[in-house]
Amino acid sequence: MSKKKLYSFKLFLLVLPFIILVLLFCYYPLYGWLYAFYDYKPPRTLANSAFVGGKWFASLVSSKVKMKQILQVLKNTFAMSGLTLGTSWLPMLFAVFLNEIRGVKFRKFVQTVTTLPNFVSWVMVYSIAFSLFNSTGMMNSLLMKLGLISQPILFLQSSSHVWFTQWLWLTWKNLGWAAIMYIAAISSIDDEMIQAARVDGATRMQIIWHITIPSLLPTYFVLLVLNVANFLNNGMEQYYVFQNAFNKEYIQVLDLYVFNLAMGNGGYSVSVAISMLKSLVSLVLLFIVNKASKIIRGESIL
Amino acid sequence: MKLKKLSSLALATVMTVSMIAGCGGGSTGADTAASTDTKADSTETTTETTTETTTESTDAGETTEASDTAEAAPEADHSELYNVEFYDVAANYQGDQPGWYGKIVQDKFNMNLNIIAPQVSGDGAALYQTRCAAGALGDLIILDNADASECVESGLIHDLTDAITKYPNLMRYEKQIKDFNSQVGDGSKIYCIPLEMNNNGPTDYKQLHVYSYPRMGWDMYNEVGAPELKNLDDLLACLKQIQDAHPTNDNGDPAYAISLWKDWDSQYMENVAQLTKWYGQEVNGSVLIGTDNSIAPITDKDGAYYKMLKFFYQANQMGLVDPDSATQDWNAIVSKMQDKRVYLYWYSWQYGFWNSPARGEEGTNYVEIPVADTNLYQASDTYYGDGRVLCVGSQVSDENFDRLMEFLDWYASPEGVQIQHAGTEGLTYTIEDGKYTLTEDGLNRFSAEVIVPDELGGGNWNDGNNQINQWIVASCDVNPETGEPYASDMWSTTIEMNQTKTTKEWSEKFGAADDVEYLKNNGMMTVVPSINMALAIDDTDISLIRKQCGDMIKDSSWRMVFAKDDADFDAQWDEMVAQLEGLGFEDLVAFDTEKYQPMLDARKAAQ
Repeated sequence: MSKKKLYSFKLFLLVLPFIILVLLFCYYPLYGWLYAFYDYKPPRTLANSAFVGGKWFASLVSSKVKMKQILQVLKNTFAMSGLTLGTSWLPMLFAVFLNEIRGVKFRKFVQTVTTLPNFVSWVMVYSIAFSLFNSTGMMNSLLMKLGLISQPILFLQSSSHVWFTQWLWLTWKNLGWAAIMYIAAISSIDDEMIQAARVDGATRMQIIWHITIPSLLPTYFVLLVLNVANFLNNGMEQYYVFQNAFNKEYIQVLDLYVFNLAMGNGGYSVSVAISMLKSLVSLVLLFIVNKASKIIRGESIL
Repeated sequence: MKLKKLSSLALATVMTVSMIAGCGGGSTGADTAASTDTKADSTETTTETTTETTTESTDAGETTEASDTAEAAPEADHSELYNVEFYDVAANYQGDQPGWYGKIVQDKFNMNLNIIAPQVSGDGAALYQTRCAAGALGDLIILDNADASECVESGLIHDLTDAITKYPNLMRYEKQIKDFNSQVGDGSKIYCIPLEMNNNGPTDYKQLHVYSYPRMGWDMYNEVGAPELKNLDDLLACLKQIQDAHPTNDNGDPAYAISLWKDWDSQYMENVAQLTKWYGQEVNGSVLIGTDNSIAPITDKDGAYYKMLKFFYQANQMGLVDPDSATQDWNAIVSKMQDKRVYLYWYSWQYGFWNSPARGEEGTNYVEIPVADTNLYQASDTYYGDGRVLCVGSQVSDENFDRLMEFLDWYASPEGVQIQHAGTEGLTYTIEDGKYTLTEDGLNRFSAEVIVPDELGGGNWNDGNNQINQWIVASCDVNPETGEPYASDMWSTTIEMNQTKTTKEWSEKFGAADDVEYLKNNGMMTVVPSINMALAIDDTDISLIRKQCGDMIKDSSWRMVFAKDDADFDAQWDEMVAQLEGLGFEDLVAFDTEKYQPMLDARKAAQ
């Protein structure tokens, strides 16, 4: 073996563990897609189940009600992802303003307090929500003691403004965490620019508008593109813990729908079929965004 | 330094958060310790009143008995602690069997029962599927009939055919076991042991009370003038008066006539399904089965499901339904009942959460209040079993198999059964001249904290009670040693003790010894023979439809209870029916109609 070949082989060995990990965790699970084509129902094994081809894909659109249900689920998914995406500039703004706070101690305090919710699990978030908003919870007790209401309001059972309240919870949990990236980006802005602007008589607002924000935009766009690719993946934990009979129609996003169908009585195959479609759509979305980025900004991310 | 600061900060946050969350739990009154007994599902038709028990009497008796039979049971080796994984759909408790019952099992068999409870784990179906996929549900398994026969076909269940004949206590129920297993697999083998069997006969109804019926505090009912109740409207009016008179309990906590819970819901709202029985129909899957052996879809507007759903809706309109109903769980209800914050009971075993002889003497016990237009659907005692079965996992080693069978035989022996149904001698009851009598602790074991002495396992009696929560032998079966049923509330001594001001006044007013007699005399109840069969299993199409329709029915039902007005209620019902149609509900009803036909045929034959 030549020296060069040996060298590349060594390099290959270095990446090998990661290739194996990727194969194991990203490609091997795709084998589960097989279930979409079988009449699978636990406790029977796959080998004992009948092959049914595209039956489950067809069953998704076999009746008006089912189509309506899936459309509603897609609508929820798009609405909630859209809300998050549409407000994805919030963390940037938050970081910018945070940076303007002069008192270091106060700034650190605010930053810590807003970052911590990110580490609280959704189940805990729900129990906080429950203790605040149930019929004998803090909110209702407060309102009743103040004499504003005579009957407790059932906040958690409400079917109105579900998208908005869910977005609020999500933002409460994520804002500080998402701002970290921007805070880092702000600290790397060249101080000379700001000094120069000051000398030229720029006000604080002008510095923010003309220097800080433009410097943050590239970071913002990269994150935006990544978020778009994740458009359909808004996770299910949050919606799973908050769902009940009253808000289900508006809270059921794609991931949750798949989970609700599969876990229970045997909608296993059909949910695999849905999640396959989901992967496909996500892939298409990613390519579209990538293309758009290439055209608009002249650089692609893939 | 920085790390230290950070970690202390993180710790502080976690503590704050858990404090807030902890408070929440407390304020809703969820009290896990009080979690109790008997989750009923609508196919279950017994009156499992209270779990009662007895004791260490015949330790050696068993082995001698065993040697009487043709082939003796294999000697099991107890030298090593055996950690038994017990997959149990009936359990309301997850983890190692604690307390006094755990100690008995440990001392006798050197076994530790690690109970895996799908009802507790949150998503039971998911747990079932993953464990099935792994090929080992558990060493011991309690499943619903249909699931069990599927597991048999998938090879997850141990064959008991040869082994079971060596165990005399199990063989006392040979007829029922064989009957059931003839429908499983090819019918020639024995895989499952039905639960809640008795030897009293297929159409016998021995219970003291009917299973589901309106029940109220006797004092409260009298306080509002003991009105004669002709129908549900009268019932609601009566409850309204009671609630108006007592908007809170004595501690000032808000109280409601009706408090619901959602954690037992399957394909419909379980609370509604229990009440359909008052009007002669039982919900089974997607259909209502009548006392007249009729079958109608659950969506029948003249059917009992609609009627009782409307009952809850009307109650809510009158402010009688606990606003926490849709978000609280069963444990929350338990503590509310113990605090007298719920004025209407329906299960007979709910008595355990309030009634006692002392309270009966005060006249505050809950009792059945007849509603004249009811036709109660009451299944007979579950001679053939209650719809669930006990199996052994196929992965169990031969050695462990012997130990498990030995345990099961004891579980079905008079000694084992008496312990399950009445506790241990000395602590919960005493024996005088062969008569069993409950002690004070025994009487109060469900309604108060009874502390068990350390040498018997220690802790609270209820926590240490048999957490398997299902028995091979029902409490109405007769103990050959006493000639009386195993159930402590059916002992003659207990019945005498329970003759209180409440029961006497009740009998005087209604002219009958108890509710069973009253309802029978007045033609307000029909006893249907309970049949235990492994019915047709859903194929994947049906199970998908069932899942989707079930979710629809459940969610719609809850929304309808809290509907704004009549128009909203009816609009939601129509919407539900229309949506169900689109999800293939008709196929499901057709499937279920066919599925339950053999059961109805068997029922007609037994009537």
